[in-house]
Amino acid sequence: MHYMDYRLNLATRMLVNKRGSLIGAILAVSIGILVIHVNFVIFQGIYDAIIRDMSDYRFGDVFITHEEEGTIERSDSVYRAWLERFPAVKAATPRLGGTADMEFLSMGKINEQYDIAVLGVEPVSDIQASKIHETIGDGQYVYARNSIVVGETVARDLGGCFVGVKSALRGGGSDPTVTGDQIDNDCTVRVGDSVKLIMENRLGEEVSKRFVVSGISETAGGQGFDSSVIVHIDTLRSMLERPDESNSILVRMNDRNTFVVNDLISQFSAAYKNDDLLVENIEQSAESTLKGFRSGIAMINLIGYFGMMSSAFAIVTIQMMLVNSKTREIGVMRAIGARRRDILLVFILQGMIIGAIGAGVGTGMGLAYTTYAKETNMQFQGSLALEVNYNWKKIGETALLAFGLAMLASIYPSYRATKLQPVEAMRNV
Amino acid sequence: MSDIVLELKHVTRIFGSGDTEVRALDDVSFTINRGEFVLIVGSSGSGKSTLLNMIGLLDKPTSGTVILDGQETAKLNDGKVSTFRNKKLGFVFQFANLLPDLTVLENVMLPQQIQGGKNIRKKASDLLIKVGLEDQIKKRSNKISGGQAQRAAIARGLVNSPTIVLADEPTGNLDSVTAQKVVKLAKTMARELNQTFIIVTHDRDQFPDVDRVITIKDGHAFEGEETTMEITA
Repeated sequence: MHYMDYRLNLATRMLVNKRGSLIGAILAVSIGILVIHVNFVIFQGIYDAIIRDMSDYRFGDVFITHEEEGTIERSDSVYRAWLERFPAVKAATPRLGGTADMEFLSMGKINEQYDIAVLGVEPVSDIQASKIHETIGDGQYVYARNSIVVGETVARDLGGCFVGVKSALRGGGSDPTVTGDQIDNDCTVRVGDSVKLIMENRLGEEVSKRFVVSGISETAGGQGFDSSVIVHIDTLRSMLERPDESNSILVRMNDRNTFVVNDLISQFSAAYKNDDLLVENIEQSAESTLKGFRSGIAMINLIGYFGMMSSAFAIVTIQMMLVNSKTREIGVMRAIGARRRDILLVFILQGMIIGAIGAGVGTGMGLAYTTYAKETNMQFQGSLALEVNYNWKKIGETALLAFGLAMLASIYPSYRATKLQPVEAMRNV
Repeated sequence: MSDIVLELKHVTRIFGSGDTEVRALDDVSFTINRGEFVLIVGSSGSGKSTLLNMIGLLDKPTSGTVILDGQETAKLNDGKVSTFRNKKLGFVFQFANLLPDLTVLENVMLPQQIQGGKNIRKKASDLLIKVGLEDQIKKRSNKISGGQAQRAAIARGLVNSPTIVLADEPTGNLDSVTAQKVVKLAKTMARELNQTFIIVTHDRDQFPDVDRVITIKDGHAFEGEETTMEITA
């Protein structure tokens, strides 16, 4: 019959018979892990949500622009035809941007005039390649050449119910949001209202066109085009005298696997190497937005890991107490022939037991929190919903790190235990 | 094989130095033969526990030599001393000193487990039956009486079939009836197993029938008992 190693048996029994210390040490480890999980769910969740929304609304999975110029002069249909032959590509759509003054006419007179960013989309392919159409809370997407989707912020600001800010809006340079004036919800632009865009074309001529508001776009956290308006790309091209031109081509993949995406990028770049195109994946295209955020996440993670380090100090303290309370037993064991390494092993095994149970409990609590956040589409004060993922590699690494730290933390108390001389230890009877 | 299992040659142990120097043992020499039941007696502070620590390799002499089962112990490193203690010596302490986290059986198995022996459970169980603790085997060692704990400690001391069993005041913490039972048990085991026993005590009367008595007084050891002369007017 096989018996558990006596050192493991003794380590386990000593811990079980000191439940208070055991529970304290396990809590120290598990709370350290929980903090890291919570940090990860919240901050990585926000980061991933931003990537998700940027990919869905602005950049797709692959984003194509001109390396030097603001516009791509060759017809987008050439590129789209090539891209859509690629099996992993779901759709590709062109986009063109511009700026305009926008007039909102109410009761036959100009209610408000506003500097605004204009996005031109090709609605049929855009619906396949992006999710901006899903942000239309009221009305519908750009369905005709004279229809316009107004961002929720624009719709609100154009309503004209701000007191004393009209001149600031028109004159530019002042931020209407700092006036502190109240918004009257009855004064927003609505579906069916008429607005006029006044733009300057490539020849420097002022052109204007009237549109009917087909929908209001609103996104959580303002990640979409809440501060812009969206029109049909052909209308915008026509107004700007830029036929066939686009600023960017947004590509949506069926398969978002990094290898597949990068394969597409390299093949596309090779196919059009003389066109001076910049072809980027979402991480690259969103880099400027995400760079600062990543530093923030790294800082938050660092704080989490410092928390875990303090758990390790708690284990050192608890184990020192354990060693001090077991000096007689250590002395007896040494007297009956246990070597220093046997004593060392008993207390390191205790650290491993604490680490293993603490890692298990902490991971369990962390997973419970992650599941809760995922199932409830956790968001904070109406901001964008967190993109919660089970990052098993990170979960495993955190558990292993906690286990390793608990084991490391037990080395010093264990070493102290081995330094006890049997005679000295037994004198403490 | 030599009959001498223990030889002390000019063993001296000094604690402290200068004005605080204490000579706990001073030039102690004697031998003990296999199978002897030896009593080391002395009053409190005479140096008998220090002597036991020397014999038990729990402490090292300042000078002199301890030869155990033919091996000069001063040359052994800490690991070898531990192994030597495990194989050659069995300990019975005044307070039994069973590990409270383990059962009675696990306590008795422990020296064998440290050694990595075979049939550990059977050997430990047999010894516990011999000392009359067959019904206490599965109990936690802190749940049994002092007398039972001391009997379990004797079983633990014997389980590795050591060259010498060292007992430090084994009856010091027991009432007289229980003490007598423990003494009887130790003598029975010594006789049955031809086991060398060295018992340190301040209470000579608890052990009336022993092979030899070594008396320690002021750090000096001499064979036999100290005689006192009562002068009456």
